[in-house]
Amino acid sequence: MSADTLSTDFQESDTGTGEDDTQGTGSKRRFSARDVWQSFGPVVVCLAIIGLVIVLNRAFFGGGGPGILALQATFILLVSLGQSCVLNVGSIDLSNAALAVVAAMILAQTLGSLGPMALVLSIGLATLFGLINGLLIAYAQVPSFALTLGTLGILQASALVISNASTVYVKGGAVLLDPLFGSFIARLPLAFWIAIVLAVVLWAFLRFTRPGEAMKAVGLSETGAIFSGIGNRRVKILAFGLSGFFAGVTGVVIIAQGGAASTFGLGSDLLLPGIAAAIVGGTAITGGTTNPLLVIFGALTVAMIPIASAALGVPTTAQSLVYGLVIIVAVALTIRRSGNDVIK
Amino acid sequence: MSNTSTAFAPEPEAVEAAQTGKARTRKRWDIRRGGEVAALILLILVFSLLNRDTFPTLINLQAILDQASIPLIIGVGATLVILLGCIDLSVEGLMSACGVTFALLSANSRMTMDLGVWAVVVGVALGAAIGLANGLIHTLLKVPSFIVTLGMGFVGFGLASVIYGTDSLPLLDGGGIKSWPAQQFLNLPYSFWLAAVVVAVGALVGRYTRLGRFTYAIGNNEQIARSNGVPVRWYKTAVFTIAGACSGLAGVLTIMQLGSSPAQIGSGVLFLTIAAVVIGGTSLGGGKGGILRTAVGVLMLTVLNNGLLIAGVSVNIRSAVSGGILIVAIVAAAWPYRSRLRIMK
Amino acid sequence: MSQTTPAEQASNETPVLRLAAISKTFGKVAAVKGVSLEIGRNEVVGLIGENGAGKSTLLKILTGIYQPDAGTIEANGQTVKFRRPQDSVDAGIGVVHQEQSLLTNLSVAENIAMGSAAGHGEGTKFGFYRWGRLNREATKVLSRVGGNIDPRATVGDLSFVDRQMVEIARALRAGEATHTMPLLILDEPTSVLERGETETLEREIRALKEFGSVIFVSHRLEEVLRICDRILVMRDGELVADRMTEEVTEDELFLLMIGHESEAPQRASAVGLETGTPVLDIRNLSARGAYRDVSLTVYPGQCVAIVGTRGSGRGEVCRAVFGAATYDEGQILVQGRDIRHWTMRQAVRHGVAYVPAERKVEGLVAGMAGAENLTLAHPGPSAVGPFLRPRARKRMATDWFERLDVRPRDPKMRLERFSGGNQQKVVMGKWLASEDLQLLVLDHPLRGLDAGASETVNAQVQDACSRNVGVLLIADTIEEAFDMAHVIVVMRDGEVTARYDLSVESTTSLDLLEGMV
Repeated sequence: MSADTLSTDFQESDTGTGEDDTQGTGSKRRFSARDVWQSFGPVVVCLAIIGLVIVLNRAFFGGGGPGILALQATFILLVSLGQSCVLNVGSIDLSNAALAVVAAMILAQTLGSLGPMALVLSIGLATLFGLINGLLIAYAQVPSFALTLGTLGILQASALVISNASTVYVKGGAVLLDPLFGSFIARLPLAFWIAIVLAVVLWAFLRFTRPGEAMKAVGLSETGAIFSGIGNRRVKILAFGLSGFFAGVTGVVIIAQGGAASTFGLGSDLLLPGIAAAIVGGTAITGGTTNPLLVIFGALTVAMIPIASAALGVPTTAQSLVYGLVIIVAVALTIRRSGNDVIK
Repeated sequence: MSNTSTAFAPEPEAVEAAQTGKARTRKRWDIRRGGEVAALILLILVFSLLNRDTFPTLINLQAILDQASIPLIIGVGATLVILLGCIDLSVEGLMSACGVTFALLSANSRMTMDLGVWAVVVGVALGAAIGLANGLIHTLLKVPSFIVTLGMGFVGFGLASVIYGTDSLPLLDGGGIKSWPAQQFLNLPYSFWLAAVVVAVGALVGRYTRLGRFTYAIGNNEQIARSNGVPVRWYKTAVFTIAGACSGLAGVLTIMQLGSSPAQIGSGVLFLTIAAVVIGGTSLGGGKGGILRTAVGVLMLTVLNNGLLIAGVSVNIRSAVSGGILIVAIVAAAWPYRSRLRIMK
Repeated sequence: MSQTTPAEQASNETPVLRLAAISKTFGKVAAVKGVSLEIGRNEVVGLIGENGAGKSTLLKILTGIYQPDAGTIEANGQTVKFRRPQDSVDAGIGVVHQEQSLLTNLSVAENIAMGSAAGHGEGTKFGFYRWGRLNREATKVLSRVGGNIDPRATVGDLSFVDRQMVEIARALRAGEATHTMPLLILDEPTSVLERGETETLEREIRALKEFGSVIFVSHRLEEVLRICDRILVMRDGELVADRMTEEVTEDELFLLMIGHESEAPQRASAVGLETGTPVLDIRNLSARGAYRDVSLTVYPGQCVAIVGTRGSGRGEVCRAVFGAATYDEGQILVQGRDIRHWTMRQAVRHGVAYVPAERKVEGLVAGMAGAENLTLAHPGPSAVGPFLRPRARKRMATDWFERLDVRPRDPKMRLERFSGGNQQKVVMGKWLASEDLQLLVLDHPLRGLDAGASETVNAQVQDACSRNVGVLLIADTIEEAFDMAHVIVVMRDGEVTARYDLSVESTTSLDLLEGMV
């Protein structure tokens, strides 16, 4: 074979990990340590933290511990499912938690007059908002953290205006939502199980549909995806739309739980837990990897954090501190690094 | 193959010339560079016309400059970080942590320790330390800056809560350090002069020091900078540290202005600052822009805020306006560079 | 008459660079075989050779990116080993690549200083820039290459010629830092320039001769003959000629570059050739800075190969066809439809396929399995509407892996773990799997592939042609074009210089080469 078949920029790396064509690296293909961790890590971590709490506080299971856990986890799971869709395409949505609050407020004000349609309205509006986020990001090609920071500001302000800086209570019709936290399956509220079902549906969507797979492709290599004819803009709009959708559902759950919504009450500080749950649940910050089933465990883990902190004697005032550290540690441990990538 | 040269890189010198009125030899004037200053002047004129009695007064000017002082200081650090191509979302958390620390170390109603000026130093040093942590985690562990600083911001809030504890609100004793920002020099508040000094130093660093120029280089193309021998990690860490110090100083100043320390301060200043950076013409992708440009952006937004306030617009709508402006600004800035193959995450 | 000691005499004759028996092999491929050469002081030496002759690898060895497997390097009389690029710079070798390595938002003076550690040191004091000093240094270096660019100007505002000058000044500064005679390597410096602008460059190079030596790599033979004192010719990894410029003619150089004249095989007419609507019709296509007034057609079942060297513009034309690059004037018609506003997604939907040169970034999605990559663009039976059918996909993947002889036969393995040749097979399969494939655009498809994989790809291309698919191919080598194409189009510096229909006429590699350089 002559040098004729080489082109001017022959690169060693062009031959992939195998030096010649007859052998690939077939033998050690499927299960590297990282792959194993990706599949089971979140479950292990979740069980570990539950185990830790049980060790420190035997009464956990008896005293309604699981119920509290499920409650918190429901909110966190819903927000993190939406966030994981956005992370999957390599972006981030800083506005989804605030969107949940605004959706809750809208629901509170319309539930009495519109009944079940109020649900459709609030979730629909939230989804629409998410789609607009996605549209701007996809077509204007602006960084998602900056754009969603802006929409976060608008949403926070809207929430303050709608609620007049106080609490918005449901004006009638709350009965509709009672079953969410009123009925129980295996002693855990219906709302929790609905969230689980949604997670499973999302998992199936990502795994068994073309749009779902397109999201993965865009997250792994947007350039490669574009060159294979995938509409990357649509994919991003879809991802942000899903984030909006889940924020809307979260809004419903907020109202179902407390009958009220405010900028400082229940459900008002879900941004960081949502991101943390997605990452601890195995979602890669760089995109392309997410498994909603594992995000369930991530949400459980993050919901355990306040409980575990209390059991360990960490003051509740330090809550934010713990969340912040968890996120940094989770990303630091799971990020895929290769020598030449430029991280910004 | 060949590519047309990238759209003009605004030179800090030109803006400096605009500000100081001193012409630099052979600096070309560009319509867009003058644009931000022109917009500022326009805003001032409009509000002056709308509120002839209340807006263009000395007292209002003092209020504007006082309000602008915090974002101006933060803007220095934020601009440097954004010039690198990164982002610092930890500003508000750091302000809280450093502010509370400062409050408790000064003459206050809760504790007897009073370190005087040293309390300020400690506050700033704490900010620098957390900024250093930001930089190290980002460069050594390769965690993207928006995650590190997002997390650290919440760590800052947590620290503030812990330090603050559950006791009563510490109120700074009257007189002494609390009144410092309100004192005046040449009829303008000290807080503004402090901010002016910080901005001036920042601008000099950006133009005349290796730190500044290498920051521009890293933002322009990190790989080329690295292959040119720039110790990228070192400079990135240094910039994050400086940004942390700026946030710390801003936190301290806020406490002085407020006279007491609620655990969460600085709400909304993050948007304002990033919006100011973008409006001022610094690119979020790094490598283009400057501290003086951000200063103009801050002034614009503060004037806008002030004008709206005087016109009776409620505070909530004003922060919605900030968010909206940020969105419009970044979309407008990015629009000319759209292309099918451009990847923005 | 002054007396010089033997030592002094020796140092006056010490070549700036001496290579002895340098070899470099990648896997089974010998990129550079036993190359020995000398570059004397104050000499401008040209280095020419076809694509794949080994020039690029040799340069990478000289700049410390690769380490030679055998042989020695002497710089200014001292034996050196370059373990990393900085070592090469320390030895006095500066390089100007075709890709820009300037920081466009900094000034000229800063960029010039950046090239060397000394530059860093002298221009600053305690971290503060001494602009005056920096600018003076820059002006000094620039004047040596005959330029009068303002050192305070921002590089991003400069024209290409001026940026080249800054690059050269920077390389010169870096090379000088060691106080030995610098050796400047200019790698295709004229490719980015218009023909008129090259005069400036030529002046610069002549000016450089006074301070150092130059290795000038170019495909434009008239330039090489004009500027250089001596010419080195590489072919198949070996140095086949080392001639003084006045002793050699252009024709001789051509022959040396390709070794022997080979003739194109007579190709039988392809099915239904040149009748009806062409699959691809490019009319007077121009893109500023890349190519000008390009026209060509591809009929169903026809394979059209474009040959040319770096800077010919053929890559950009192909990308424009797929929608991956824009153009300024002219028309591209696919099956009669104007594609001006097509996104790549639309191109794919209309049956256009593109196998890119940048395989790892554009050709495949790293992280996804072979089967997933295979069905990404055209799922065919592996999906029903938006729903995936995993078993059908598996069947499809197994089938195609068999057809394309992808090894190992593991469609679930991540595609980036396969060797390059097998990756390429899967990438091709992604497009061939489509029932509606109309136009297959191949950009350096055989790059980095060994003989077996090349054969498979070749066979697939022939197969596609027999299915009435039109093929537009960018060939790495002339032989490749001879093997696969019905029509050969020659491009040089953005223009089409010749067209040969192999079913009606014959041509030789020499003819092609003349059109390329």
